[in-house]
Parts: sequence; C-alpha cells; structure tokens
Amino acid sequence: MTMFKLSALSFVALVMGFVSCKKEDQKEEVTPAVTKTDSVRASTTGNFAFYSFKDGKAIEVSDSATTKWDFGIRFVSIIVNSHASGPGNVGVVTEKGIFDTYTVAPESGYAYDTTSSKLAINSEVTGGWYNYSGPPTHSFSPKAGMFFVFKTTDNNYVKVEMLSARYEDFVGPMPTHIWHKFRYVYQPDGSREFK
Amino acid sequence: MKLQLSFIIFLLFFYSFPLYAQDSLHRGPVNQLLRDTSVNGNEMLNEVVVTATRTENRVSNIPLPIQVISAATIRQSGAQRLIDILQMQTGLMIASNPLGTALQGYPNPFGDGIQMQGLDPAYTLILIDGEPVTGRNAGIINLGRIAVGNIKQIEILKGPATSLYGSDALAGVINIITDNPQKNDFNFQSYYATNNTLGLTGSANLKTKKAAWQIFGKRYSSDGYDFDKNIYGQTVDPFTDYSFSGKMIYDFSDNSNLLASVRYSSGKQKNAYLIYPDNSVVAVGGHTIEEDKSIFLRFKNRVHNLISYSVQVYGANYANNANVYYKNDGALFDHIGLSQTLIKPEIQLNIGKDPKSLWMTGVGYNWEKISSTRYDKVHQLNSWYLFGQKQWVFNNANIITGLRYDKNVLYKAQLSPKIAFAYKFTPEFILKASVGTGFKAPDFRQQFLNFDNAMVNYNIIGARELGNVLQDQINKGLLEDNEDVRRYMIPVELKPEQSVGINLGFDYTLKVNTVFKLNVFRNDISNLIESYSLPFISKNGTGFFSYKNVNRVFTEGAELTIQHRFNKQFSMNLSYQYLIAKDKEVIRELKNGEIYKRDPLTNVSSPVDLSDYKGLYNRSKHSGNISIRYNNDKLKGSVMIFAKYRGKFGYNGLDGFNDGNDILDDDREFIKGFTLLNISATKNLGSHIDIQGGIENLLNYTNKVYMPNIYGRIYFANLNFKF
Repeated sequence: MTMFKLSALSFVALVMGFVSCKKEDQKEEVTPAVTKTDSVRASTTGNFAFYSFKDGKAIEVSDSATTKWDFGIRFVSIIVNSHASGPGNVGVVTEKGIFDTYTVAPESGYAYDTTSSKLAINSEVTGGWYNYSGPPTHSFSPKAGMFFVFKTTDNNYVKVEMLSARYEDFVGPMPTHIWHKFRYVYQPDGSREFK
Repeated sequence: MKLQLSFIIFLLFFYSFPLYAQDSLHRGPVNQLLRDTSVNGNEMLNEVVVTATRTENRVSNIPLPIQVISAATIRQSGAQRLIDILQMQTGLMIASNPLGTALQGYPNPFGDGIQMQGLDPAYTLILIDGEPVTGRNAGIINLGRIAVGNIKQIEILKGPATSLYGSDALAGVINIITDNPQKNDFNFQSYYATNNTLGLTGSANLKTKKAAWQIFGKRYSSDGYDFDKNIYGQTVDPFTDYSFSGKMIYDFSDNSNLLASVRYSSGKQKNAYLIYPDNSVVAVGGHTIEEDKSIFLRFKNRVHNLISYSVQVYGANYANNANVYYKNDGALFDHIGLSQTLIKPEIQLNIGKDPKSLWMTGVGYNWEKISSTRYDKVHQLNSWYLFGQKQWVFNNANIITGLRYDKNVLYKAQLSPKIAFAYKFTPEFILKASVGTGFKAPDFRQQFLNFDNAMVNYNIIGARELGNVLQDQINKGLLEDNEDVRRYMIPVELKPEQSVGINLGFDYTLKVNTVFKLNVFRNDISNLIESYSLPFISKNGTGFFSYKNVNRVFTEGAELTIQHRFNKQFSMNLSYQYLIAKDKEVIRELKNGEIYKRDPLTNVSSPVDLSDYKGLYNRSKHSGNISIRYNNDKLKGSVMIFAKYRGKFGYNGLDGFNDGNDILDDDREFIKGFTLLNISATKNLGSHIDIQGGIENLLNYTNKVYMPNIYGRIYFANLNFKF
C-alpha cells in the first residue's frame, strides 16, 4: 500500500514537473540559476565564518560589518546578515521537504535575526537545524528534509541545504573547528524561480 | 549437615520451596499449600516469592510473570555483584545513561542499570527486602554497587507493579531477598579474579530459641582496566567497595516477631581526567565516594487465625560526593555532592484465609529529601499512599486485584489499578493474564535541577525552577523581557510518566521434568519526560534546557522459557525474548511523510518509509540465554555453563554514521549481536570447604568504544569455608 502511494506520489510529481517545465518553456528566457556545493570551516569558539552566495565564497572577518556576506556560522550556530547580526536585510524561510524538487521561493514569511537571542535560523540542540548524536562521537548532522530559502543581501533568492558537519580534529572535550558542507541554488536575476 | 554441598546446591535449585517458607507467620498456610500437590505437580514452579503480592506465594499461584534466581544459582555462578547476575537473565540488558558513556577518559558517573521489557533502567524499581534502594543518578541506580553475598533469592517481577509499590515500578520490580539466619553457622569466601579483583565475604548466623542474628560483611576491590593508553585516565578506574549488614529477628511467640536490620555500603572510586581551560591541558583527579545507609524495623503480629498485621519503618540515605583536585598544586577543582534521604513508615493488614481468600491493605508515607550542589536548596518530595489487594484462590482459578492511591504534593494524585487472573485448564496447563497501570513520578532532577555548565555554555533547569531562573536572567540583563521568553516562564507542571502493561501467557508442564513458559507483553507509556532546548540564548551565549512531557512509546514482545531436567545430573534452561520498542510520535510523523533521510554518500534526501523504522535505539529484537548444569554426587562436583546472547541493537551516531534524522532506520546504525559465555566449576572438599574456578566471557567479546563495561575474558577462583 505504502509502495503504491509512493509510486503514485512520484508519478504525480513527475507529471507536475513536466507540466511546470512546459510552463517554463512558454515563458521568456530566464537567467539560469547557479548550482554549487561548498564548505566553510567554522571555529567552535572564535569568530563566525562568513559566506556570500553572490561571490560563491567565504568572506573575511574584517568584512563582518558590511553587507558583503549572507550568513555566518560558528560551531553549529548560524546567523544571517540582518538586524542584530549585520547591516544587511537577509531573511530566511525554513522549509521541509525535498530540496531538488523545490522550485519557487515563497513571497513572504521571511525571518530575520531580530535580536541576538532570537535568530532567523534555529540553531538549538533540539528543534534546531541539526541532529546531535551525543557521546561518544558527539557528531552533528543536518536534519534531512530541511533546507533554507534566503533572500540575500543583494535581494536575490537562494535555496540552501546543509549536507554535513565534520570535525577537523577532536582532542579533548572541545573540538576547535568544524567543516560544514552545503549546496545551494542561487538565482541571480531577482526572480523567485530556481531554474 | 553431612550431605555433600553440591548435592545441597542441587536440592536448593530443584526442591527449594520448603527451605524458603521460613517466615513463622506465614509458615502455616504456605506449607499447607505446598503439600497440596494437586495444585501443580511440578517442583520447578514451586518457589515461594513475596514480590508479586507482598505476601508469600508459590510461583505457580501467581498469575504474573515472575522469575526467581536462587542462592544456589548465584553461588554456582561465582558472581560478586548484582549487575553480573542480572545481565545474564532473559530479557534483562545492561543499559547506562548515554550521557554517562565514558568520553575521552571521563569516568562514567552514573553506572549501569538494567533494561526490562525494553524499558530504560529508570522504570524498574529496585528493592532490597521489599524496600526501595535510594540514589538514582540520571535515573539509574548503579547496580554495580550492590554486592552479592547474603542473598536468599532475587525475584524479578515483570509488568507494572505500581499497584503495590508506587512510583518507578513501570517495567517491573527486582527484589533482592536477603538470607534469614537458620542455624548457627559461619561462612567465609575469598574471591580473586583478573584485574586484581579481590572479594572477601564473611557472614555469621546465630539462632537461639527466640532470636536469630546475622552479621555480614564484604570487601570488594579491583584495579579496573584501561582500554586505550592514548586517552588520559583509565576506562574503569580502581575502586574499593565495602558492604556491611546486620539483622535480628526476635520471635515473641509463634504469632508475633520483630525484625531489625541495618545496611551500610560504600564505594570509593578513583577518578582522573583532563580539563581544557583556555585551550590549555590540565590534569585533575580525586575520588568519588558513594555511601548507602539504611535501617529497617518491622513488627509482625497474627492476632487471629484470619488477621495479621505488620508495622514497619524504613529509613535510607544515599550520598555521592566527588572531589576533584588539580594534579599540579592539589587545589580543589570541583566538588559535586548529592544526598538523598527517605523515611517511610508503613502499616499493612492481612485479613482472610491465606491464600484462598486474602485481603491485604496498607498505608504509608514517604518523606523524601534531597540536597545537591546542583540544586539551589534542599528539596522535599513528600507523598502518602494507600493500597489494597484482594486475592482469591479457587480450585482451577485464582484472581488478584489491586489498587493503589498515591498523593504527592507536586502533582495530581495517581490511582493505579491492577488485575491478574490465572486459570488451570489441566494440572499441567495454566493460563495467566494480567493488566496493570504504572507511573513514574518526575524526579528531583526534572523538577529542581539548576545546573549551569559555564565551560560548555549551557544551563539545565528543572521544570519548576525554569520561571525563576529565566526571571533571574532577565533581572541580570542577560535575557530580553519579551513574549518569546515569557512563554517559558509560565510554571510547568510535569505530569508523572504513565504506563499500561498487559501480560498474557501460560505455564505448560510436559511430564515432571519439562516446563514451557510463555509470556507475551505490551507496555504503552505516555507522558515520557524528555529534555528540550529553549529556542533562545542569553546575551552571553548560554543555551537553556528544561524538561517536558513529550513522547509516547510502546514496547511489546514475547518471552519463552523451556526448563528441562534430563536426569539427576543434567538440567538445562533455555530462554528467548523477542522485543519491539517504538516511539508513537515517530510513527505518526512517518505516516505523515515528515521524516527524511539523507544518503551519507550521495547527499540525496528522501522520505523515510514507515517500514524502514526499526524502533528505539539500544533495544535488541532478539535475545536469549541458555544454562546447563551438571552435577556429580560421586565426584562431589558441579559445572555450570551460562550463555547470554544479545542480538544486534541500534546506536545513534554509531561510528559517525548519520543519515540526517534521529531515528533508527538504517542497518549501519546497528551494533552487532554478541554472546557472553560463562563457565564455572565447583568441587566440594569435605563438609567445610569447597573450591570454585571459572571463566567469565570465555569468548572474549569486547567492544571497547561502545560497551566499555565489558572487559573481556576474566578468570576467577573462589574458596568457600562453612562452619
């Protein structure tokens, strides 16, 4: 029964994908979105590591007070460039589902780093964006089926999925650095379509 | 006393009942019952137990799943600690709090408990002579600290027993029944094993016409062991445990007696680990000392053929103190202290023919007090309770109904009913069925903890303290006074965790030498208390955790036992447990397609199918044991082989595996099954001395990272004197 449901669902998804593709075809030409997989090296206690989707690379700490970056990460805490965290106006919608089949960014509902204790992305141990395994490995892994839609500092839309978190080294009770791997689809033309 | 000891051991195992029916007040009816051979012809079901009904009853008369580990089994196994015996039993698995798992040389601070019917150690009540053992750390009573020596038998009652014992008896009850003095004698045992483990046990019994006395003492020490020299500190640090107890029974008449007993035990374990202040490495070390004291007084009186009562008071104190000092200058680094006191007076009244139609009722009060370096102040958790039980034994059926009322100041009164029923279709086939409810009161930690771990920047706060602590943070300017914070300041009343347990099974006696027992069980637990993190942090980056009622889980399965005696020399016991344990919230989310997984290699996400959900972590679907005993009267020797199999079980984050969800849905999350095989041989050298030798974990199973409590092969030798 479940198998049937699943295949029925994927059939529906397929048809819908086909239909929407057709729609796309009828539209005028759309700037192709940029798809990329990247990693940032985050300190567990020091400064945040910053990243820009437009540039597709990490941004220096010295630029933390500018609108050059979209998000920053320290250990497993994510900040975005708005209000309490930076001069930008980066908003985030946390979505559930399959990253690949997600095609249109929402018009509204974006959350911001309103205050330093109320951030756009929930990074708490339970209810946050990752799972924490506890001892003895203390591993973190991003929750599957969860991803973010950013309205970036340059007013474009990007969908981002965190893929993995790996310690660089782990001697003693606290690791010093953690590598976060993520992939994103960045739409540079201001439209909400990830195509 | 001229009988050979090994023969006595054999007798104890198979014909144990007359020796156990020793309580003068209940001797009459129980002995009558035992002579009534028409009830059941098989002596394997004739052990007398007290845990199931709080009165003496023969196993075959109890419509509940109960298992007895006899003194002979314990002696023959050579085991020195309770945990060593319990972990070999069917359906009982060693479980430690995951937070207590040794990390990079940090000692496991909580010890090992026992999982029963798939439920965590916090849900099994541990009793010594019917009274609760105090001192749960993170929900676990460290069974490693309970010495084995003057034990008459261990009774394991499965299924909720709250209707008799109150809080914590959700999964069941383990009741350790200590020996009563029978005659004048003196026993001494010396035990030596791998890792320089030394056990010295002595007891003396004195029996006069009116009074019986017993003193018992044990010293148990070990050097521990170290699995990884690259990690600072030992895997298991050296320890020395002492236990002492004294008991006096005075018979005023055939109908009344007084029992007084005291117990004291202490465990001192070294600890040594590294801390990392400001990214430098500093060695610290010291000792953790656990102390356990109790006193018990009981007066029993039979005032009439049909009426007897007992008045008793139990007092216990548990203290745990860890002092850790800097290695370089000896200055104090940390002190953690916990002290828990319980005073429990109780009156029990029995009316009627025992066991034909017995009405038992009782009332009691718990004064419970706890103080800790991690609590703001001394906390009290007082409650009173009332319980009643009616037992009927008919020719072919017997029924037990029970009800208990618990009123605690901190939460709503709990009413816990239970009904159990047995029907004898033929003398060989007895059907047993029972339904009961159980509850576990929110513990001190969940209510009152205020633990601020400044090193890792988090604060764990008991539900009752949460409002106060957040207000305090606001007052200090560390939190903003807004709606998001205010929402968590409304006082939270934690509800007790509750369960409904059903057990259904039969005992089938095939000839006199073979017994089949089957028990099918199901436990539904609601209001499970779990910790959660608050969705905000303080301005200095501290995260907050508290406790709330969230999950609903169930466990279900079946336990099958076959006992067979081949002949006078050979006997065998074979048991198997099938277990399913799942989280109902997870099942609901899976049905709604809300849980996904990510392939760790391709990073492709997809929904998890309900059929891929394998249940709760740390549960083995299959487990079982086999024991074989051989006894030779001519050679005055006996051999026991005991094997316990634990099937594969899930471990969250095993070897760094993670597929992006917190549920067990992948084969790579399983720790492989394993077998612990113990063998021991006993040889009697005259009437005063016997020697014993054995090997525990003969197959040398180890899993150094995930099961550091299993050392590997252990050789032991034992010398027993008896005068």
